[in-house]
Amino acid sequence: MKSSLKNMVVVLFTITAVSALLVALVQDITKDAIATANQEAKNVAKYKVLSTTAEEAMVVADTTRHIGDFQITVSTVQRKADQSIVGYAVEAPSITKSGYADCIVLMVGFVEEGDGCVVNGVEVLSQKETPGLGANMTKEGNSLERSIVGKSAKDVKFGVTKEGGSFDALTGSTISSRAYANAIETAYAGYLWATGRLNTSAEAVEAAPSGASMTYDNSEPEAQKGESNE
Amino acid sequence: MSKLQIITKGILKENPTFVLILGMCPTLGVTSSAINGMGMGVATMAVLIMSNIVIALIKNLIPDKVRIPAFIVVIASFVTIIEMLMQAYVPALYASLGVFIPLIVVNCIILGRAEAFASKNGVLDSALDGIGIGLGFTLSLTTIGAVREVLGSGSIFGFTFAEGVMPLLFILAPGGFLVLGYLMVLFNKVAKR
Amino acid sequence: MSNMNILIAENISSEVLKGFASGEVSVQAITLFAIVIGAIFVNNVVLSQFLGICPFLGVSSKVETSMGMGMAVTFVMALATLVTWCIQQYVLVPFGIGYMQTITFILVIAALVQMVEIVLKKVSPALYQALGIFLPLITTNCAVLGVAIITIQKNFDLLTGVIYAVAAALGFALALVLFAGIRERLEVEDTPEGMRGVPIALITAGLLAMAFMGFANVVPLP
Repeated sequence: MKSSLKNMVVVLFTITAVSALLVALVQDITKDAIATANQEAKNVAKYKVLSTTAEEAMVVADTTRHIGDFQITVSTVQRKADQSIVGYAVEAPSITKSGYADCIVLMVGFVEEGDGCVVNGVEVLSQKETPGLGANMTKEGNSLERSIVGKSAKDVKFGVTKEGGSFDALTGSTISSRAYANAIETAYAGYLWATGRLNTSAEAVEAAPSGASMTYDNSEPEAQKGESNE
Repeated sequence: MSKLQIITKGILKENPTFVLILGMCPTLGVTSSAINGMGMGVATMAVLIMSNIVIALIKNLIPDKVRIPAFIVVIASFVTIIEMLMQAYVPALYASLGVFIPLIVVNCIILGRAEAFASKNGVLDSALDGIGIGLGFTLSLTTIGAVREVLGSGSIFGFTFAEGVMPLLFILAPGGFLVLGYLMVLFNKVAKR
Repeated sequence: MSNMNILIAENISSEVLKGFASGEVSVQAITLFAIVIGAIFVNNVVLSQFLGICPFLGVSSKVETSMGMGMAVTFVMALATLVTWCIQQYVLVPFGIGYMQTITFILVIAALVQMVEIVLKKVSPALYQALGIFLPLITTNCAVLGVAIITIQKNFDLLTGVIYAVAAALGFALALVLFAGIRERLEVEDTPEGMRGVPIALITAGLLAMAFMGFANVVPLP
């Protein structure tokens, strides 16, 4: 078709308007379905990280904490049969260390044992890491999951192994692994906070180790071989 | 050109990756494993077929000078719509392919085919072209992904046979360039015969 | 739960504790220096992020044209990031239409490139002569869109965002010029037949990317 200023403007405007309208329409239709799907995924994860199901157990309380733009939700899960507590499913983002692309959001299950608690399971709720590298954290039985599941939370050091932490980093993905550890740390803090056991007094903050300084300790040049900047 | 030829030419004669050299960014970006390559290929094919159809339908209404911007808008809207629909109704599929969808917008294959084929041909032929080029793209990406996965992480389609001994380099950026380069040499040799 | 068993969780870092104490979290401050070095060397758009490969392979056979392309991209990328950042903050976010991001950004970049071309032609014919032929190529340069989106993703403020965009573009230009330098030499070499053209270019790019990997961990990344 021959171009004139008039038809160029009219056609381009029409196409843009129709496209925008269509996109807005679809967004409106799918908005609720997307929210439901996301909620559904979260619900499934909640039970999964505590090795239970929606048939056997139910969420009896949700405690939410906002920190800046982040949101941490601690769900108390109870057995339907005898109303005993199964454990706590905590939805937590990595609040102080971002992943390669964005913060990482995890669902972490804590089960109380004695005077401490054990990390029962971890599910990745959202991550935008590189496929094949950081995105491997979503795979069953990856090295990060292996280094935390079944451990007593109070003995875990929230960092990657080459920096003195407890997490075996995913190959070539130190930054993603740090963020993963940070999300677990946030989840643990959230669980302690929700159960009224987190000491956030000025002295406690003062006494706590700095996550930033821990990050660059113990790094051996050898361990950095073949490492990407992810 | 027969209908079958339109489909098959995308696999060898006009292979988008090795011959047309289109869509290099997503090609290199996602092919760190075979399954990722395949996922990107399939997602691209879906968008390509549909955008080809739409563009073949509206091609006569668009003045030449604003062709490219008009195509870009159509493609970007399409991708956004597909992303939202997938997220809403097939969340499981979205969980595995979702990361690739936004990347398709910047894939010049879609624009390239809109410009080179769909804007000059009928609706059916354009759809077939989408299938053919999409298949070629999927095959190439799966191959590159498989090679990089075997060399870089000692596994194939997620099945590990040699953990931790293969050079990680092949999964990282340089490996992407190298594997694509050498596969292209191989393709040229084979295709020439 | 009683307050009797408040415990000092010794393994929780002070940053996270502070977050829970104050309800605010201070984002790890990254210096502008780290952003610039990170964008040029560590996370080079072409060699480690795989953005803008097409012009990288297409244009870069002569050092001079590479420089022209690099300059044009720097200019457009900075301008595009400036405009898209404002659109995101003042239009998309307030109206809650964040899902229109891709469409809007792509259109804005296409329009911007056209406008730059027209203005340049009128105002500075000399500069237009130098950069003009590269401008249409930039519309399809995914690095421009990529950088605009990354700037939004990383929550940079306007100044940081533009500085990041310029640095990323300089990284693009650097990779392009280095690559062109190598390819100028390669042209006079006797390359095996099947390797001529794109394959050898890709292999060269692979080696260059390997060299750039040496920059990993030089600065904490943005």
